[in-house]
Amino acid sequence: MAPPAQAHRSPSPSQPSGKGEVSDLKSQLRQLAGSRAPGIDDSKRELFKKVISYMTIGIDVSAVFGEMVMCSATSDIVLKKMCYLYVGNYAKVNPDLALLTINFLQRDCKDEDPMIRGLALRSLCSLRVANLVEYLVGPLGLGLKDNNSYVRTVAVIGVLKLYHISAPTCIDADFPPTLKHLMLNDPDPQVVANCLSALQEIWSLEASTSEEASREREALISKPVIYYLLNRIKEFSEWAQCLVLELVAKYVPLDSNEIFDIMNLLEDRLQHANGAVVLSTIKVFLHLTLSMTDVHQQVYERIKAPLLTLVSSGSPEQSYAVLSHLHILVMRAPFIFASDYKHFYCQYNEPSYVKKLKLEMLTAVANESNTYEIVTELCEYAANVDIPIARESIRAVGKIALQQYDVNAIVDRLLQFLEMEKDYVTAEALVLVKDLLRKYPQWSHDCIAVVGSISSQNVQEPKAKAALIWMLGEYSQDMQDAPYILESLTENWEEEPSAEVRLHLLTAVMKCFFKRPPETQKVLGAALAAGLADFHQDVHDRALFYHRLLQYNVSVAERVVNPPKQAVSVFADTQSSEIKDRIFDEFNSLSVVYQKPSYMFTDKDYRGPFEFSDELGNLSIAAESADNVVPAQGVEANDKDLLLSTSEKEEIRGATFNVSGYSAPLYDSSAASVQSELAIISSTSAGSAPSSSLAIDDLLGLGLSAAPAPEPASVPPSLKLNSKAILDPGTFQQKWRQLPISLSQEFSLSPEGVAALTTPQALLWHMQGHSIHCIASGGHSPNFKFFFFAQKAEESSNFLVECIINTSSAKAQVKIKADDQSTSQAFSDVFQSALSKFSV
Amino acid sequence: MLQCIFLLADNGAVILEKQLTGHRVDRSICDWFWDHVISQGDSFKSMPVIASPTHYIFQIVRAGITFLACTQVEMPPLMGIEFLCRVADILSDYLGELNEDLIKDNFVIVYELLDEMIDNGFPLTTEPNILREMIAPPNIVSKMLSVVTGNSSNVSDILPGATASCVPWRPTDVKYANNEVYVDLVEEMDAIINSTKQFSLLHARFRDGVLVKCEIYGEVQVNCLLSGLPDLTLSFANPSILHDVRFHPCVRFRPWESHQILSFVPPDGQFKLMSYRVKKLKSTPIYVKPQLTSDAGTCRISVMVGIRNDPGKTIDSIILQFQLPPCILSADLTSNHGTVNVLSNKICTWSIGRIPKDKAPSLSGTMVLETGLETLRVFPTFQVEFRIMGVALSGLQIDKLDLQNVPNRLYKGFRAVTRAGEYEVRS
Repeated sequence: MAPPAQAHRSPSPSQPSGKGEVSDLKSQLRQLAGSRAPGIDDSKRELFKKVISYMTIGIDVSAVFGEMVMCSATSDIVLKKMCYLYVGNYAKVNPDLALLTINFLQRDCKDEDPMIRGLALRSLCSLRVANLVEYLVGPLGLGLKDNNSYVRTVAVIGVLKLYHISAPTCIDADFPPTLKHLMLNDPDPQVVANCLSALQEIWSLEASTSEEASREREALISKPVIYYLLNRIKEFSEWAQCLVLELVAKYVPLDSNEIFDIMNLLEDRLQHANGAVVLSTIKVFLHLTLSMTDVHQQVYERIKAPLLTLVSSGSPEQSYAVLSHLHILVMRAPFIFASDYKHFYCQYNEPSYVKKLKLEMLTAVANESNTYEIVTELCEYAANVDIPIARESIRAVGKIALQQYDVNAIVDRLLQFLEMEKDYVTAEALVLVKDLLRKYPQWSHDCIAVVGSISSQNVQEPKAKAALIWMLGEYSQDMQDAPYILESLTENWEEEPSAEVRLHLLTAVMKCFFKRPPETQKVLGAALAAGLADFHQDVHDRALFYHRLLQYNVSVAERVVNPPKQAVSVFADTQSSEIKDRIFDEFNSLSVVYQKPSYMFTDKDYRGPFEFSDELGNLSIAAESADNVVPAQGVEANDKDLLLSTSEKEEIRGATFNVSGYSAPLYDSSAASVQSELAIISSTSAGSAPSSSLAIDDLLGLGLSAAPAPEPASVPPSLKLNSKAILDPGTFQQKWRQLPISLSQEFSLSPEGVAALTTPQALLWHMQGHSIHCIASGGHSPNFKFFFFAQKAEESSNFLVECIINTSSAKAQVKIKADDQSTSQAFSDVFQSALSKFSV
Repeated sequence: MLQCIFLLADNGAVILEKQLTGHRVDRSICDWFWDHVISQGDSFKSMPVIASPTHYIFQIVRAGITFLACTQVEMPPLMGIEFLCRVADILSDYLGELNEDLIKDNFVIVYELLDEMIDNGFPLTTEPNILREMIAPPNIVSKMLSVVTGNSSNVSDILPGATASCVPWRPTDVKYANNEVYVDLVEEMDAIINSTKQFSLLHARFRDGVLVKCEIYGEVQVNCLLSGLPDLTLSFANPSILHDVRFHPCVRFRPWESHQILSFVPPDGQFKLMSYRVKKLKSTPIYVKPQLTSDAGTCRISVMVGIRNDPGKTIDSIILQFQLPPCILSADLTSNHGTVNVLSNKICTWSIGRIPKDKAPSLSGTMVLETGLETLRVFPTFQVEFRIMGVALSGLQIDKLDLQNVPNRLYKGFRAVTRAGEYEVRS
């Protein structure tokens, strides 16, 4: 990074070159210093202005420090302010000269005018020179007792500044208890607020060394203090209200009455003109009601309108920050915002980062009733001048198609995109059609007809080209020209820059070969040869692998390359819900804007309270980051134990499909591809060699479960379960609330099972092999909690299970709810037998 | 908590720097920021919150001036942004407008203001009335005087009394000879108008307005010139249409909760009493019917504008603006009313003004497409501006404004105006 170069960039024609002007100023100031002529203040003011303007544009005017101090003896308040400003700026680099200013600042601290007293005190504390702290204590003590609230306000922050310069001096002077007294008794709300912020910072920094300080810090979020602050909240300035609300968000009320009292008291804050206050209030509401599901929903309903108003009023910058928060709420509870989808329509003039957020929200809130309108709106954007947004909106249409059950109209739209003759539209649409086909193979005929008419010459983007090639391979039996298109693509092997495309080409040629051997044999040879000669390692390896596989046994090769596929039900989410939860915990913070939890973007140096203790000033933040340290460090350990909810599970499932349908990998994640490669290898060994690795074993098991008969022995004949059962979390929750408990039992776990239950995932995979799917899990050793579901094979009758496993006592408590009560005993037997086989 | 505030000129040069905590933020952050902005194309495209390698940066742009704030710790993002907006508002309030020269001429005042507005990185006083009592704004009279006499003082001799006041937004001892209070309803109509798609053989797209979304965002602005400590109540004839409301801190919550009455002790002078939203309006005052037909490399465009629902008052300042798609090489556009301008960046502006009684304004012309392009595939969005004085299109009506302790001479005035906000017609 270049050193500051603004001085040279300034457009001002009267740009001083430096030295000459400074020495000129110096002599002029010297002349004025002693003079008492009338009107002297005005000439001083002109000179001071000049000095300050040089300072502002980055010229070093520290040379005139002495003269400035000499001139500072004046009653003119503007001169004083300029002088304070100058002194504050240069004292740190000139500690010796700073001593000169102490005298006049101390004198000003006793001035008659409260404004001057305050200003002088503020400047005195802003000198930040360690060896001058002894001069601070006296004026600060007086300032805290001053009868003017302005001076007290300044003095309180002064105490904090003193603490940062020299913590022992501040503690020894007994300032914190004084502040506490002021906080609880001062009539001026700004003094109270400043005390609160100063104390929060001081005590959280002291807490690690002093028992008392940590007790005091705890006391800040105790009932009396919180209630005292809440009762006065309307007196506070808007910023102080934010501070108090941040504190309240940390308070844990005793019972629900307290929660409702606080929420009733704060409800009108949702209508405050300041967005920061509104968001802080929302944070309090969300945190208070986290454990009360029903009320939490009501809170969402209540905060919806204020948030939407905040988005539509205010400047674009404010809108964006609010929108980021709205985004996180929409992602958590899309159904609540489903009727407000029109608010997420993009306006022509909005910056693209706003449009992007809105597109994501539109995608999330799409449901049966509004899909048609949302997709229509998204199609408008596809013709947008802004190409990245046009692309995003096509992707959004695809995502909605993948979410919904009724996709007829959407598929038509997507196929229309293919005919729009815009290369980027075609490219995006191709990728989507591929994903759609993986989920809804029944549409292959409609799609293939359109895709077949697209000339591969017109598709240049690697992702789109790969998608097209995948479809050529997958549906080669339906596309007349498939082998010949593949042939021409293979001929241009050398010109193809993307390794991804070449990988897909290899696989597609293989697939095509198994379906139409006579036409493809020649191409296959050419492709394998080209692949073997490829300089890209992955391409080379895959070609070699196919080559050897074919040599080994053609039918095994076919089983590997072209296994019977099952439609993908859910694609993996890009951001795990665990991260979303974590961001949610940090609501109303920068995390939300960045869409990353703070441990992912905050520099380690600034997370801990000590790293910045001598640098930084504010209090609430320090307190907060002190709290953040623990989760941040615990992340590694917690990651595996945290609530593992649906999307994570879907990721596991998605990875499975990668095994069976790996020819069109969706994942860039190297881990997933490694796993799938491993699985391929173990499946080529036909499962004869028992794998040592648990992960491989599980993946293999899953891979096999896609085969027609999923381990029939494990399912008693009395009850057949649907191995492809699907239930979304919303429905699960709804059913769980509605249905009565039909069975409640306790099972014992085998010791091996207990040993294998190091992470919840192991059990999930195992149970999935028995057609019992997990919807959410969590807990730490020794206690784990799982929610499972299963469906009957023939009819859509659901079983819901809550299973609490205690590994130390090797017991599992199981609660079963069922649509059809009569079969719950049978299901219970299935469940028990599945559980007992865990890790056996 | 903010650590530093910078004001940057439109060429990236630092106009002003205010360090807020002991941690000194180096100016080089501004260079990083400016490079970042340039790499994004223009500053409107870069996000209001940016992570630089060393700091987190909040930025807002007002009148070409970039307000930049840096921090290294987690904090509520809206606090940073709201505060910067407040700084910008107050500066432009003090200086009359915002530009680089004005800030440079008055940077002492700017420093003074920042000093009172934020201490140690935490926002303090942002109420304009209190600030005004602490730091007198530079007015034209004093500027004239200072030119004539060479003597100036922008500091009021009054001490900051209001900081201790129980009504912090109102200065003490306000006196007026004539007591006046004006209430304005200022509404903005946000609308998106689409059409049902009809593809003809010639790839023509006929569009008649289908209202996709129509909402009103409104503000009640009050200009209060009353002596002493007036206590006002304002009520609406039809408060039930308001979907969501936000209030100035002076508004008491209970009367609104129970009776939808605004009860407040107002700040002195001009302020925004409340803002509101009215959802799901069913009609718009004017229609815009664009029609684009393209064939064999040329595109015919015709746009008709007229009154759909007469609001009863004159609709004026009608302006239609749209960006020609990039694939258009040249455009020849004429209108039967008003003036048409096509700028070099392909932004076309059609200023209509008022709609004449005898004819419907229309714009027509031909556009030449890029070679190789037969038909137009990207369609422009028309952004419409208009203004209607004397009407609040949401239908909101003020019932009455009452004042406790009515002074001798009191004048109450009510006005309303509706403007187009984000009013778009897609072709």
